Amino acid sequence: MRTRLHIVKNEPQPSQAPVVFEIDQLCKRFKTNGSGDVSVLKDITFMARRGEMICILGQSGCGKSTLLKILAGFMPPTSGSVRLNGRPVRRPGPDRCMVFQEDALFPWLTVRENIAFGLKDRRMDRDTKKREIDRFLSLVDLTDFENYLPQEISGGMKQRVSLARVLILQPEVLLMDEPFAALDAQTREEMQNLLLALWQKFKHTILFVTHDVGEAVLLAERILLFEKGPGRIREDITISLPRPRRKDTNAYFLNCRSMTAKIKAIGVEG
Amino acid sequence: MIDRSSTGPWQSRALPWVLPGLFILIWSVVSGTGMAPAYLLPHPGDVFATAFQYIFKEAGQGAYAGRFLEDFLASTMRVMLGFGLAVAVGIPLGAVSGRLIVVNRILSTTINALRAVPGISWLPLAMIWFGIGIKTTVFLVALAAFFPIYLNTEAGVRQVSPILLQAGAMMGVRRLRGTFAILLPAAMPHIIAGLRLGMGISWAYLVLGELTGVPDGLGALIMDARMLGRIDIIVVGIILIAIIGRLCDVGLHQFLRLCFKSARRHP
Repeated sequence: MRTRLHIVKNEPQPSQAPVVFEIDQLCKRFKTNGSGDVSVLKDITFMARRGEMICILGQSGCGKSTLLKILAGFMPPTSGSVRLNGRPVRRPGPDRCMVFQEDALFPWLTVRENIAFGLKDRRMDRDTKKREIDRFLSLVDLTDFENYLPQEISGGMKQRVSLARVLILQPEVLLMDEPFAALDAQTREEMQNLLLALWQKFKHTILFVTHDVGEAVLLAERILLFEKGPGRIREDITISLPRPRRKDTNAYFLNCRSMTAKIKAIGVEG
Repeated sequence: MIDRSSTGPWQSRALPWVLPGLFILIWSVVSGTGMAPAYLLPHPGDVFATAFQYIFKEAGQGAYAGRFLEDFLASTMRVMLGFGLAVAVGIPLGAVSGRLIVVNRILSTTINALRAVPGISWLPLAMIWFGIGIKTTVFLVALAAFFPIYLNTEAGVRQVSPILLQAGAMMGVRRLRGTFAILLPAAMPHIIAGLRLGMGISWAYLVLGELTGVPDGLGALIMDARMLGRIDIIVVGIILIAIIGRLCDVGLHQFLRLCFKSARRHP
């Protein structure tokens, strides 16, 4: 069942945290007009422990976004199962929140209203709600911008709002679909640091899709290296660099280089 | 919350009135110099006097004197009833049809075929069905206003990014709340366009509906004046409908902006 997993040898002591997310032999095919089906994902099997930061790394077209959509419950898998805390995932819900790559804020709501959106249905008294919203506004450093509309703020700020509006729902798992890919290099680095700080604080389980090797090495405890045609897990790699990780260290650089070499190898074979 | 309405210097505020002013100027010259005889185009001064009499004088102080309020209320009520009916049917149907491909398939051919039928061809049928009077007028207004409202709502709802709906779903928003909290606000610019077009066309069809021998209303006024050869009254009727139509448009827009954040703040 887990033959596709090759755990790298130098793994630190295995984490004792309980498994929250179990993905078992997930397949996804899309119907095309004419010549049969296209297999997008094949036999995806892995699990995520509580508080783990897992990066899904692969070239574009390897099905990583599709995988995230299935995990979020936006589309059903063709076969296989997704379980969160033992219960099968069938539809979207606030226990698995997604941060999208593109701007997915509600343009007619202010920053504050966007962050408050998911709380509306929660049973919570006014003051608690207000305090929660204030807290998350300040966590993403947007207190001064609470009354701005999305069209009036920068791309980085928008992604901070996207982050805050799901964090406030206290999801079990955060699904992030190349959330920083559209940002400039400096803003991206700020966002990566912010994400790490928030992760250290809240200990969410995070599945982070990216095609950026440097980003994966900076963030991940584990990297699931994807190959395409059909999309599948090539390798499950543990990154044991100590934190805080710095981009100007040799260890970081070596990790990036070996990861790039692995990706190249896939390309040559494929 | 930036107010996007233009509160520029007086020049930009004066701009909308340049064209009407120019129009009245040319009109004065044309009828003042006798280029157009009074039985074809009365002088603006005469029209203004007639309008004053029609609007402000007491009944009995001259032909048509003091009838304005009555006509205005009758016409406005017909427009509002017809428009309201069109909104009540057009927006829900448009929203469902924009979301569900099956409903869209069922409706679109029929609605687009009916849309091609000019409103005036319904008039004889409506008169047979509903007789002469308010029902016929309301029917025609509702029918005419329905199409732009339905079509724009449908287009707007169909163009709502699925990502917004997915974002709502993951935040635990179920279908009903999603409709009112995400779908309709996201489609709001289109819905507003549809409502404004529908409101405009309502006034156009009001006159059509009032051509048929109802005793009161602005359309009836124009028809009546035609029979009596009172061209000044016809012009007064036309100008009043233009003014009221514009005021309704502004009023509708302001009302929507007052009631809905999404109408105020869309980019």
